[in-house]
Order: sequence, then structure tokens, then C-alpha cells
Amino acid sequence: MRLGRNFGWLIVIVVAFLIPLLLHDSQYFLSVFVMCLINVLLTSSLRSTASTGQVSLGIMAFMGIGAFTSALLMMKLSFPIWAALPLAGLAAMAVAAVIGFPFVRVTGLYFAMVTLFFCEVIRLILTQWRTMTGGSTGIVNIPSVGTISVLGLNINFSHILPYSYFALFVTVVSLLILYRIDRSHLGTHFASIGQDESVAESIGINVIWFKVFSFCIGCFFAGVAGSLYAHFLTVLYPDVFSIFPSIYILIYMVAGGRKSFIGPILGAIILTVIPELFLSLKTYQPFIYVAFLYIVLYSMPGGLVTLPGIIGARFATMRQARLRND
Amino acid sequence: MIETRELTKYFGGLCAINNLNLKVNPGEILGLIGPNGTGKTTAFNLLTGFIRPTSGRILFEGRDITDKSAHARVKLGLARTFQLVRSFPDFTIKRNMVAASFLHPKIGFWEAIFYTPQYRRKEKQIAEETGTILQFLGLDSLENEIVRNLPHGYQIMVGIAIALATKPKLLLLDEPLAGLSPAEVSRALEIIRELRRRGTTIMLIEHNMAAVMNVCDRLVVLNFGTEIANGSPDDVSHNKDVIQAYLGVRKNAA
Amino acid sequence: MLLQGFYNGLSAGSIYVMIALGLALVFSIMRILQFAHGEIYMLGAYVAYYAYAQAGLNFFAALIVSGIALAAVGVFLEKYMFRRLRANVEPALLAAIGLSLILQNAAVIAFSNYTKYIQVPAWLSGVVMLGGAGIPSLRLIIAIIGLVLVIALVLIIRLTKVGRAMVAISQDSDAAALHGINVNRISSLSMAIGCAMAAIAGGLMGALLGLSPYMGTFALTKAIAVIILGGIGSIPGAILGGFIIGLLDNLLPLYTNTTIAAIAGFSVIIIILLIRPRGLLGRE
Repeated sequence: MRLGRNFGWLIVIVVAFLIPLLLHDSQYFLSVFVMCLINVLLTSSLRSTASTGQVSLGIMAFMGIGAFTSALLMMKLSFPIWAALPLAGLAAMAVAAVIGFPFVRVTGLYFAMVTLFFCEVIRLILTQWRTMTGGSTGIVNIPSVGTISVLGLNINFSHILPYSYFALFVTVVSLLILYRIDRSHLGTHFASIGQDESVAESIGINVIWFKVFSFCIGCFFAGVAGSLYAHFLTVLYPDVFSIFPSIYILIYMVAGGRKSFIGPILGAIILTVIPELFLSLKTYQPFIYVAFLYIVLYSMPGGLVTLPGIIGARFATMRQARLRND
Repeated sequence: MIETRELTKYFGGLCAINNLNLKVNPGEILGLIGPNGTGKTTAFNLLTGFIRPTSGRILFEGRDITDKSAHARVKLGLARTFQLVRSFPDFTIKRNMVAASFLHPKIGFWEAIFYTPQYRRKEKQIAEETGTILQFLGLDSLENEIVRNLPHGYQIMVGIAIALATKPKLLLLDEPLAGLSPAEVSRALEIIRELRRRGTTIMLIEHNMAAVMNVCDRLVVLNFGTEIANGSPDDVSHNKDVIQAYLGVRKNAA
Repeated sequence: MLLQGFYNGLSAGSIYVMIALGLALVFSIMRILQFAHGEIYMLGAYVAYYAYAQAGLNFFAALIVSGIALAAVGVFLEKYMFRRLRANVEPALLAAIGLSLILQNAAVIAFSNYTKYIQVPAWLSGVVMLGGAGIPSLRLIIAIIGLVLVIALVLIIRLTKVGRAMVAISQDSDAAALHGINVNRISSLSMAIGCAMAAIAGGLMGALLGLSPYMGTFALTKAIAVIILGGIGSIPGAILGGFIIGLLDNLLPLYTNTTIAAIAGFSVIIIILLIRPRGLLGRE
């Protein structure tokens, strides 16, 4: 990794770590920050699955599995957070592996349908499994992270400011892993399957296995996001993990630009923050999302992340025209 | 090197390949020809595992590969290109080659994540080996071009390049000369001959008769899924069944 | 009890089939997953409600008005939104998703969140005794209407020129176009039929269970389940699948509670997917 290109990223991460301090006196905005991080993680996970050409409409199912797993591990078995979090991811990944094999055999649109359908199933199972999940009323009083000793200081991560740092840390590490995967040969293989499965098969890539693999990776991080959510909110209702939130995540990804790595992150940030900045528009939130979606679909197919490029090109042609006229 | 035994394929009620007994000998350049729609690409698809036969067996270097999946066959050394140029159009040539280097060398998951020195070494190795292939095909100056933007002739070369990256023992080329200018065609034939010299067995489907006569050691002619002739280009071009199969075009010339 | 469940299952199946057929028809002809199909169903319910409860039309007239209105909406959508996206699977899906969000949230704003109820005409609120079990007249009418519409659609597809054109397009739209079939017109027609059926189903369900802006999601999920079960691209499959799911949804709760029944129903479908990805009668 050359330092030059990554220096910019270092700055971004430092800035990100400063944000909670800037917001420290607003409980509300800190919550927005945490939700934003969760959405960023979810959108990036969705992109990982989508890189092999499989667009899932049911990511909330896996977030739900992760959320309940993490909550229950800490509540019933007193697991500490640093065990519960990855186990939440693993639980989601396990389910993904099981349904992955039959699901990846079906093509794009059909895959979208079955994942949507699966999301409903999971929501119903979570609603039904009263003993575990408290049914439709859900579970409350989920232990948050508790007090951890960091560098000699006892910090209570159940308070929102420390929790935002916890969430930020988890998100940054997860994104780093996803980034490494994307940049490595693995990411190239995923993208090649996304472009042309037959050609990928013809150069020796076991397409089915890789599709399941990308699905599992995405679902792992969705599970982790679920864990972050559970311990942040400390209450969980199965109804939260339904189809429309999954679709919102999809919209974040498409609006941001699914080809690049940052695109989905950008989309998640922008679309999470904007409705919060203009609170009076809260009822119109879905319309804002659809507006972004349509703008991207019809005039910026690469996503919002291509906007700087488009503006740059526009300026370049303007400059050229002006130079020619002189 | 590869042979089929009583290979048959039905699509519903239509018999596409009928009891084909094909044999490709190591080190030869075999041409598979025949009028349009007679099952040549189907034969390729059967050989490479993209479709399964209705009955019959396929043997590669003596091993029965009939039940093996397509990617497994590539691992054994059987590679192919596709009609109408197929590679990864949104990638640069360089990235196409990285994608194609899946099999050699084997890179692990954790190596990639942690960016270990081994990973970096393997990356370098891939760059070197694929660089050689690109040089061989005359593509090395274009490494960073996105394939979609390249002229047709170059795209065909990229298709061949990624197949070569799998280090095949037997390479199946599906109409590699389609749409190429005469200069490009002779360049391509040179490359095919050179590949054979370096030890790769080649089988190709082609409609460009002049080229086929020029480069192939042996021809197999298919008509309606059955082999109707098998022999040297000279023999085959005088075979009256073959001439008839091509709907009398030759008949007029004769 | 069983017979009761069976009758309920039939009427539920009718509704599911009506909704699913519309979706399947649009899908096989336009190759688009009309994600807003549920919202069409929901709007159909509201139009029927206003026509019947506010404007005082006869109940059946209200249903027909609703069908026609939503058919017009469908034609409009096909022409201005879906036609240009016909080849692009993903943008079409995303556009339809956007449409669904717009319609659903516009409905929440316009009609408010809580459930409205339709007061059906007196002769429909009774119960008919059939073979030892009672079936609410409304459910009986639903089953009958459903059957009539389904048979009508099947006859149209089998016997008319238009129907055969539809089959042709569903197999290969380019070839069909080359044979002189006006693909645009047939797409418009299939969209109109699909939306009309969804609207009527919505009106009937609204009368049965009440109206809510969110009722479309239920319809869409059921329709997708039916299509997955019955097989993508298959009209007979959608019919078969719809009735199977309708029956499962109403017979299983007799032995366990509703949620487990729904889960079981869904799981059956997932299992079928595992064994036979094309669905029961699917082709592609």
C-alpha cells in the first residue's frame, strides 16, 4: 500500500474520529452518527454480495440474525462484547452459507425475489420464536458494551459518546477488511463473475463457490452491523428487520455507486444524514430517497461518487470551448 | 489427448450431436469445420463442460472427465475461448490477466487480507508471467487500456490471453478469426503456430477456409452433429460429402 | 372445520392467483419485476372504496371502475416508465422499487395510517352453507370472481390472436417483433390486464379485511411466493401455486398458530427451490 494514495484516507479516518467529540453535547446527533456507521457497514456488505452480480433484497434478515444472536449471547450466556460481536457475524454467515448454495444457482432477478422472500421468512421466524426473541414485542434491556478498561482508564461504553467510538472502531476495521478483499485478487474474481459468469468459469473460477463466498462475506458484516445495532438501541423488535429497510440499503448502494468501494459508503452517509438535517422533512424521507434513486438511475448511472468526475469533465469542456473562442 | 466416445446431445427432441467419436492428438492443430449450425460450438461446450451430454463419455489424457464441472476441466489443462469475443470488458487488460491467473499460483484468503510479503511476491509473479503472455500476443503496450475500448482485433487477442493464462495443455478456440483483417489473420495464425511449437495442442472452429487449410494439420467436418470426414486439409477438401454439405458452393467451383 | 378451512383457502387462493397472475403476466411479457404491483393492488382497494362508500356506486360497479382506473394507470406506467427500460433488468427493478415507495408513502400521506373498513352490501354479509360448512358470502363471491377472471385470462391466452401473441413474446420478444407482432401494444395490454386484476383483488380484499396503505407489501410478498412456487414464467404455475399457498395459509393454522403456519408455508417454498429451482411448472 503506497502511503501517498492512502494518506487521504488517513485524514478521513482521523476526521471521522474527531466527529463524535464535535457532537459530544448532542445526544441526538451522536445517535445519527452511530446509525450512519451502521448503515455504512450494511451498505458496504451489500455491495460485497452485489459484486458477483447478485443483488440481495433481504439484507435485513442477516442483520436481524446477528442482532438477536449478539443480544442473546450477552443476555443469556453472559458473553463479553468482543466475543458476541464476531459470533453474531458468524451466525449470520452460517445461515448465508446454508441458503447460499441453492440460492446462487438462480439468476439475478430471481435471486432478488428469493432473497426478498427469505427476508420475510426470517422476520416471521423471529416473530414466532417467542422464547428466544420475545415475539413481536421483542426484547429489552440488552446489555450494552459495559465498562472496559482501555489504557488504564475505565470507560463505560454504555454511554453514547464512548459507544460511538466503539461503533466507529468496529466499522473502520470492518471496512478495512472489506477494502482489502476488494483490492486483492479476490475482489477481482468477484468482479469478474459479476461481469460474465461464463468467461469466469472458462478461466477456472469455481463460480458457484465464489458467489456463495461473496454472499457469506456480505452477510457476516451484516450480522456485525446487527450486533452494533442491538447494543446501541438496547431494544430489538423483529419488525425492524423487514423488506423496506433492506430496500433502503439497496438504494443507498445504488445512489452512491456500486462499482466503486467508496460509492456505497458515500451513499449511506448522504442518505442517512440528509433526512436528519432537515427534520421537518422526515415524513418525506422515502420521497427523498426515491428522488436520489431516480436522479442516479437516469443521469448518473455510476452513482453519486461519479459526480466529481462529471463536474470535472463539464469544466474541462467549458474551458476548452473558452480557449477555442479566444 | 482428448477423445470422445459415442458423444450424443439432444436438446429436447433435436439431436445436436450424434454419436461423435472425436480424437485430438497431442501437439496437433485440429480444425473443426462444417456448415453453420451443425453443432460445432455445441461440441466445444460439451468438451469444456458448459453443457452436459445426453450420453457418451469424454476422456482427457486418458481420464474420464464427463462428470467434471467446467472450471475443474480448466484446472486439468483444458481451456477455451468464446465466439463473439468474450473477456472482461470493463477491466483493463492487466486486470483481465490478474483475474485469469486464478489457478496459477494459488493465493490464500488470509494472505490477501493481511497483504503479506508472500502475497506481494505472488502478485509480482503474476505480473511477470502475464506480462510474458501479453508480450507474446503484442498486447503489452496496452496493459492499462480498458478492453471495451479496444478495437475488435485486440479484443480477440485478450480473449486468447486470458485462456493462455490458465496454462492449458489443450486450447479450444471458437472462431478466433471472425472479423479480423487479413493482416490480423496472418498474425493470429502465426501465434497459433507458435503456441503449438511451445507445446500447446490446439483445436479450432473456423469458417475462414483459407486460414483453416493453411494452419491445420487435420480437419474434422461436422454436419448435423455427425462427423462426415476426417483427414488432412487436402483430402477433406476433395471429399464429395463435404462438398455437398456446403450446399453446392464448391460444386459450382468444381 | 377442515371444510371451512378449505373454503377459506379457496377464496384466499383466488386472491393470490389474481395478484400473482398480473405480476407473472407483466414479467413474462415485459421481463420486468413490477415491484409496485402491490401498490396497484392497494390503490385498487382505495379506488373501489371511494367509488362504493363515497360515490355510492354498486359494489361490483365499484370494482369494475377500480379495475379500469388502475388499468389506465398501468398503461401510463408502461408507456412512460417501463417501456424504455425493457431490456435493462436492474434499472427496471430499481425504477419499480422507487415507484412502489412513492405510491406507498403518497398513500400514507393521503389516506393516513389506520385501517379503513368497507361496509359491504347486506346481501354479501351473510354466510352460505355449502356441504356442511359455512362460507361467508363475500368469500364465496371472491372465489367465484377469481375463478371467472382466471378462466377468462386463460381463454384469452389460448384462443385469441392477442393471447398467442403474448405467448410468442414471452418466449422471444425479438422473434415475435420480427413476425409483425406489435410488442408495445401487447405490453400495454398485459400491463392493463395485470393491473386491473390486482385492483379488483385489492377491492375484494379491502372489503374482506379492510384497507391500509401498507396492504400492498403483503400482496407483493404473496405474489412473489406464488411465482417462485409455481415457476417463473409459467401462467399455469402461478394458478397452481396461488391455490396451493392459499390452501396452506388457511389449513395449517387449524393445527398450529398463524405465524408458524406462515413460516411453514414459506419453508415449503424454500425446500421446493432447493429440489427444483425452476418451481413446480417453471420453464426458464
